[in-house]
Amino acid sequence: MKIQQRQAGDVHVFELAGELDFHTSPDLRSKLQPVTEKSSHKVIINLKKVNYIDSSGLATFVEALQKAKRSSGKLVLTELMPSVRSVFEIAKLDKVFTLAATEAEALELAAS
Amino acid sequence: MALQTGMCLLHKQFALDAATARLAGFREDLRAFLAQAGFDEKSSGEVVLAVDERLTNIIRHGYRGGPGKIELDARFSDGSLKISIKDYSAKFNPLNQPAPKLPPENPGGLGIFLTRKLMDEVTYDESFRSGNLLHLKKYKDKRGPL
Repeated sequence: MKIQQRQAGDVHVFELAGELDFHTSPDLRSKLQPVTEKSSHKVIINLKKVNYIDSSGLATFVEALQKAKRSSGKLVLTELMPSVRSVFEIAKLDKVFTLAATEAEALELAAS
Repeated sequence: MALQTGMCLLHKQFALDAATARLAGFREDLRAFLAQAGFDEKSSGEVVLAVDERLTNIIRHGYRGGPGKIELDARFSDGSLKISIKDYSAKFNPLNQPAPKLPPENPGGLGIFLTRKLMDEVTYDESFRSGNLLHLKKYKDKRGPL
């Protein structure tokens, strides 16, 4: 799993590539932590290059969402591949996450 | 890939160390087996995730991150895939766990739910005394949830 981090204004964008599983999700969690522990943070996670996610990956996002809610932050996931989106749907997590089709849309949602 | 003729069209056995670093390589091997059995990408993805969740569960909760062996037997014949996953950790029937609340409000607890959801049949073999044995079944032409 490769994780690239950049900033667009006050929005932190994480672009992931590879497979997100029990082995790789701790790295993502540790890279998200410095950002998600700040109040009113704005985070976009671009998943266009993630072709596999398991329940550990889902758990990492649920944890990040909890932190966003607690600290009045925003978390937007964008460009999910169909195979990844299906896993969110099975767990009904598509109902609780903000999912954007494009990164431009995600930026608008994160900034609003 | 070891192929056997006779009763089974395709048969492969996997022996794994209980280490999370091995999961990605194993998933590749399983995808290759499923492609050879004629599973499309979607159905293959369902099987791979179902099995991966069980393996992660064994590594994390069965062996608690310590060393251990996992043996997996995959057979495909007559449109039906049977996968048996054996480990030697303390006996624990994951099928006795209650279904999780969806969507989950807290991280975790989805592993065995996904395994059951993505396969057509999942049974725990109580007769295996040395650890745990889970049997998974998937019909190739039956539409799955992914």
